[in-house]
Amino acid sequence: MNKEGKIQVWQDYQKEIADDRYFYVRSCIRQNFFPGAEQTFLKILRSELGKDIYENPHHTTCSGIGYHSDIVPFDTIQTIVARQFALMTEAGYQNLAVSCITSFGIYNEIIETWKEHPAELEKVRNYLKSATGRKFEIPQNVAHAGDIIYKFRENIAARKKFSLINQQTGKPLKFVEHIGCHYSKMFPSKGVGGAEFPYVLVGMIESWGGEVIDYPERRHCCGFGFRQYLVMSNRGYSVSNSRKKFESMEPYKPDAIVSNCPGCPMFMDRWQYVIEEMEGKTYGENGQGIPVLTYEELAGLVLGYNPWDMGMQMHQTNVEPLLNKMGIPYNPDLKYATKEGRQIGKPTMVSCGC
Amino acid sequence: MKHIVIIGGGIAGIETASALTDAGHWVTVIEKEAQVGGKLNNWSCLFPTFTPAEKIIGELQGKCRNKDFSILNKTEVRTIHRQKGKFSIATSNHQKLEADAIVVATGYELFDARRKEEYGYKIYDHVITSADLEELLKPGNDITVAEGKHPKRIAFVHCVGSRDEKSGNHYCSKVCCITGVKQAIELKKRLPEAEIFCFYMDLRMYGKHFEELYREAQEKYDIQFIRGRLSEASEKIDKSLLIKSEDTLSGRPLKMNVDLLVLLAGMEAGKGTAATAVICGIGCEESGFLKTTDSFLKSNFSEQEGIFLAGSCTAPMSVNDTILHARSAAMEVNLWLKNH
Amino acid sequence: MELYQELTRDVRFIEGLKSCMNCGICTAICPAAEFYDYDPRIIAAIVQSKDEERIEELLKCDTIWYCGECMSCKTRCPRGNTTGLIIMALRSLSQELGYFTESEKGRQQLAIKRVIGENIVYRGYCVLPENLVPEMHPEQGPVGQWIYENRDEVYERVGANYKGDGEGALRKIPQEAMDEIYRIFEVTGGFGRFDKIEHFSKIKAESMGFTEDGDDYSDYIKYINTNNNGKHTRQ
Repeated sequence: MNKEGKIQVWQDYQKEIADDRYFYVRSCIRQNFFPGAEQTFLKILRSELGKDIYENPHHTTCSGIGYHSDIVPFDTIQTIVARQFALMTEAGYQNLAVSCITSFGIYNEIIETWKEHPAELEKVRNYLKSATGRKFEIPQNVAHAGDIIYKFRENIAARKKFSLINQQTGKPLKFVEHIGCHYSKMFPSKGVGGAEFPYVLVGMIESWGGEVIDYPERRHCCGFGFRQYLVMSNRGYSVSNSRKKFESMEPYKPDAIVSNCPGCPMFMDRWQYVIEEMEGKTYGENGQGIPVLTYEELAGLVLGYNPWDMGMQMHQTNVEPLLNKMGIPYNPDLKYATKEGRQIGKPTMVSCGC
Repeated sequence: MKHIVIIGGGIAGIETASALTDAGHWVTVIEKEAQVGGKLNNWSCLFPTFTPAEKIIGELQGKCRNKDFSILNKTEVRTIHRQKGKFSIATSNHQKLEADAIVVATGYELFDARRKEEYGYKIYDHVITSADLEELLKPGNDITVAEGKHPKRIAFVHCVGSRDEKSGNHYCSKVCCITGVKQAIELKKRLPEAEIFCFYMDLRMYGKHFEELYREAQEKYDIQFIRGRLSEASEKIDKSLLIKSEDTLSGRPLKMNVDLLVLLAGMEAGKGTAATAVICGIGCEESGFLKTTDSFLKSNFSEQEGIFLAGSCTAPMSVNDTILHARSAAMEVNLWLKNH
Repeated sequence: MELYQELTRDVRFIEGLKSCMNCGICTAICPAAEFYDYDPRIIAAIVQSKDEERIEELLKCDTIWYCGECMSCKTRCPRGNTTGLIIMALRSLSQELGYFTESEKGRQQLAIKRVIGENIVYRGYCVLPENLVPEMHPEQGPVGQWIYENRDEVYERVGANYKGDGEGALRKIPQEAMDEIYRIFEVTGGFGRFDKIEHFSKIKAESMGFTEDGDDYSDYIKYINTNNNGKHTRQ
């Protein structure tokens, strides 16, 4: 594989990412499964980088999961999105920082629709006005939260406490990166590095000392498929697509998987457990599973944040193998404790959750 | 004696020059490279007869030697001004030429296959273009992949950079279908153990002996044709390639592992032709190829009086079609000069 | 009603189908096509044919419900089509006309509406921690169960503001905001969609022998959530 060729592609897809004054919109999935990742993101931006990032408690879901499982009509989601824009406009912000890839895709799809079909925009302005009395402006800049971490990856590297280096061997740790379909498959120019060789996570990993491995099913969907997971009897679709990825990445012996999208890490984390239960197969070294991280968690580890403060105990596949390799100290007794340090029982673990 | 300047010394340029010289005109060819023959110099042999490209090149070079026209090598046209019915031309070597007529024969450029990012050209080790393969097919070259082994399974991808909105090229490049068939047969002859697959959408076997060659590829050389456009290629740990398509005739997604992937790169008008169009003040079509004033009756006429067009700067063309188009250009120029 | 005409009123259909040359590039990388007995190319071909009978068949069958809307098809199509968008338009129309209840996969819309739909309208989230009941989500594993059973403490530990006032992850969204979302659903046809899903599902449930039974067809919901005839995947 020739890296020069990839660098060429990366250079072709440089997107503009605002450098301050963001209006933050949260992700439903991240809030449920990795709320600590969002906290970590805000902490990095505010405390480490000194950025202004504002969250209005009145913002809601974009309704994207409902839209992509087809129970929410296009007019409805357009108007909900317009309401988020109105909150942004009213707060005096122009740059949207989006925590979720599904939302990011939707914001892009809707803004592009308004460009191609101005009548839709007019219709939505009227809907929003009659429903809420609000008016809005279209954001000047729409960045996924991962884009922002990418933009400041060198600032993070400059403050790093730990590197993505195996402390026992001194070699770079090997990462598999997963972008999330709606990041750039719909609009390649909206993603750092485009759709085929996205650079957003590669840039972070390389800046922090790690190495990225490319594997044949890298571009394949994690298998969420909205209704294909939401409905219990459809979940075979979801697990079989994740499994395809695990099988494909296995020969490269990755130390961890890092994901750009909120949903994908949950699936790749949980499905490893399910495959172990169903087939007795465990991926990763010594039957410990392949740790799956969000990019916020990865940045947090590099900056020396406590993994349990970041919520890494909420992973089904244990993250300890990665922490050990990076030489990050942690207290195993506090992993499943409350804020005050009180024990509240432990999950009954299988081997990928040692 | 009338003076004609021909821009481009490929097949079309030399053929036009030769015919106009025969008709008694003074001809100068401006060629940016050190040698004539253009892209043909990179080709091994030609469809559908497997005629060595050298033979055609030899013919062209013979005409250059034996006929009384001059060639300015390593030279490009900088400006053209029309003065009192004549063209005054300045070159990159600071020459000034006066011409009564101009023939644009700037040819095509091969589609840059890197633009089809999903195929990983120049990223994955064993993805090559039809032009790269042609180089490999020249006598004396061994065709090997990882660890010096011969490829056991090879796939050709048709329509790379053609019929593709994503590449910006809506048109058909016309020659790739038959090039694929020809190259598949050559590879099979060189590597009889290899399995060879062609992924196509339509096989456009429009020319003399093309269909017969396609049939021979199937019957005699056991080349498999699969109707489906390749969606992506990715490299495996052993450097072989995982490719994904649909076998549309059986309606099933198809994944295959191959050792070598050949991209049948299409033709584009290219930067040279675009720059020449600006210098000459002539128009291009949406495809980027030069505009002719009438597809049927004036396929050698540009929008500018006295500026003629020859060969694949007007549309994708085979060598054969290029020679015919060049000869017709010479005839039109000759006739026009007589009347002016 | 002319079904094809109806589809052209959906802006996603206009964007989704320019012209298809049946090259199969969408099927080649479709995660659904690898798992289900499914070929998105054929959906584009049927719709493009404008054959009303075949379009009606599509609207009533499982096929249109196999797509995962990952939109991988959009990246590759050489004609700028997006099969995923065509499917979204077909699904909308299928629900509009009540045809979705004719297929096993289509009937599942009620289950999605009841959880995701009502979360959106009444809580301002698509998903909530209390939805992740271990019996319905065995894939969440022991950690998922531990989170579910200790959710107040776990979310507090990791810095979320679960059901709290003000900002933060999983905060309670203020009532004024929820009132606006409610009005948006009224004005834009969101409730219209919900009502159609409920209305046609109830007719179907009754015809299949389920009754309302004071619990809003919960047996039917359980049935559509778990029923799988085993004939959807490639053999």
